[in-house]
Amino acid sequence: MTGSPQYHLERVRKVFGRGQVALEGFDLQVAEGERVALIGPSGAGKTTLFRMLNCTIRPTAGRLSIGGQEVAELYGRRLREMRRRIGTIYQQHNLVPRLRVVHNVLSGRLGSWSLLGSLASLARPAGLETAHRALTDVGIGEKLFSRTDELSGGQQQRVAIARVLMQDPDVILADEPVSSVDPSLAETIIKLLLAISDHTGKTLLVNLHSTDLALSYFPRVIGMKAGVKLFDTAAAQVTPELLQELYSGHVPENGAGEPSREPEPRRIAV
Amino acid sequence: MSLPPRTLGSRSIFPYLFGGLFLFLVADSWRRAEVNPGIFFEAEGREHLWRFVTGMYPPELSWEFLELMVRPTLETIQISVMGTLIAVLIGFPLGLLATSTFSFQGLLHESEYRGTGVRHGLKVGLYGLARGLLSLFRCIPEFVWAFMFVRAVGLGPFPGVLAIGVAYGGMLGKVYSEIFESVNTRPLEAIQSTGAGRLQIFFYGWFPQVLPNITSYTMYRWECAVRTSAILGLVGAGGIGQQIEISIRMFNFHEVTTLLLILFALVAGADYVSAKVRSLL
Repeated sequence: MTGSPQYHLERVRKVFGRGQVALEGFDLQVAEGERVALIGPSGAGKTTLFRMLNCTIRPTAGRLSIGGQEVAELYGRRLREMRRRIGTIYQQHNLVPRLRVVHNVLSGRLGSWSLLGSLASLARPAGLETAHRALTDVGIGEKLFSRTDELSGGQQQRVAIARVLMQDPDVILADEPVSSVDPSLAETIIKLLLAISDHTGKTLLVNLHSTDLALSYFPRVIGMKAGVKLFDTAAAQVTPELLQELYSGHVPENGAGEPSREPEPRRIAV
Repeated sequence: MSLPPRTLGSRSIFPYLFGGLFLFLVADSWRRAEVNPGIFFEAEGREHLWRFVTGMYPPELSWEFLELMVRPTLETIQISVMGTLIAVLIGFPLGLLATSTFSFQGLLHESEYRGTGVRHGLKVGLYGLARGLLSLFRCIPEFVWAFMFVRAVGLGPFPGVLAIGVAYGGMLGKVYSEIFESVNTRPLEAIQSTGAGRLQIFFYGWFPQVLPNITSYTMYRWECAVRTSAILGLVGAGGIGQQIEISIRMFNFHEVTTLLLILFALVAGADYVSAKVRSLL
């Protein structure tokens, strides 16, 4: 199910504050409705790439266009509108812990709400039924009024997915969505994301630590290492040798492994 | 198994230096502050102490006196509440400006520290001004503030309110800015990625993170303000304190006892209320 190009990246380069090159000469084409997994050792630049794909940071050089629009030309209201069309699920710690689940879910709507409307919703949640439906879709409908920090890691990840459902974007980016949950749950969450993409035809890009999940569930797999693309091919073509090369010189970390957290980069001001 | 090497830091001479300085300070303070516990055990000292204690007993519990004290008691509560409210109104905006990450890097810590030109100069100026004001407000004791405000606006509860507002505003602003500094920006980034605007990010991501901590600290400060408002009365700023001052001047120590009991009840009550509020957070 592929359509017009959603993402178009040409020789994208990203350099952070002290001259650290996070991404170099990166080309990428993703068509509408495509499902792509990105794999590679931590520090490969996967998170940096995602933060450019969701318009949090801008490329230092190169071209990035989304749905035919050049991101470099977007500011203010039009930039926010573009962000609204891209939903992101992060590894963890990206919900507001003190808020009730309902508000974290509804915050997916902020891009479509006025300031006053969103403030009023903090007192009297607007669209309770849709929030409840989104939560039910991810399997934790009963947690609607729980406090977010009282949920387990896996449940919080489901809240994040429900937030993206509320946002109803064209593209779903999931940045290491399962590295903080146990393996059986990881598979469930990946299947859930795939099912959503299946039903709605939304483009799905996922960063994964686990090559097994990437290879068994995604038709297209991209391998990244040290800020460059090593391969970009159908899952069936990814050989053990390619994987060996991808992870060579990289010492695996304990357990799920941690994503690299880059030094505070320059973000796009609203 | 061999131990990992110790860090060089543990060989520093600073712990010894500061330890020595501390011992010297204690010894020196003992001498200079004329600390003399013997005074309690000499015959004359014992007698003074006894007269002081027995003079305060029993507390004055006549109905007329108690009735007269209702108003000053309420006044003390009102001074503490209004004073704390003004302190919050002063402390919150100044604390925000005095938060370096917020002033220099923005809500999401997104911009680089070093800016250029007028805009950066303005940021530095506002940040410095806020920090300076907060320091000034809290380094002058509330007692002195009260004294100055009594001169400025006359006797009564209002100078007490102003004194607490300004002095506590300085303390609140300082602690608020430390709380603001520790806000986690990752939820903010996630909210921004949904297409939310600045103020929406502020109210959905930033404010809920700081609210429990600033409420908790403000409640604690309010507790202190109840006690302080009694002290301020001594310089004529209304409330229970003013009654204590009058009773002491009249040598009515029985009344002083009653007033201290009322004050005790007030502070205990404030303590209870603030603990209740904090347990709800």
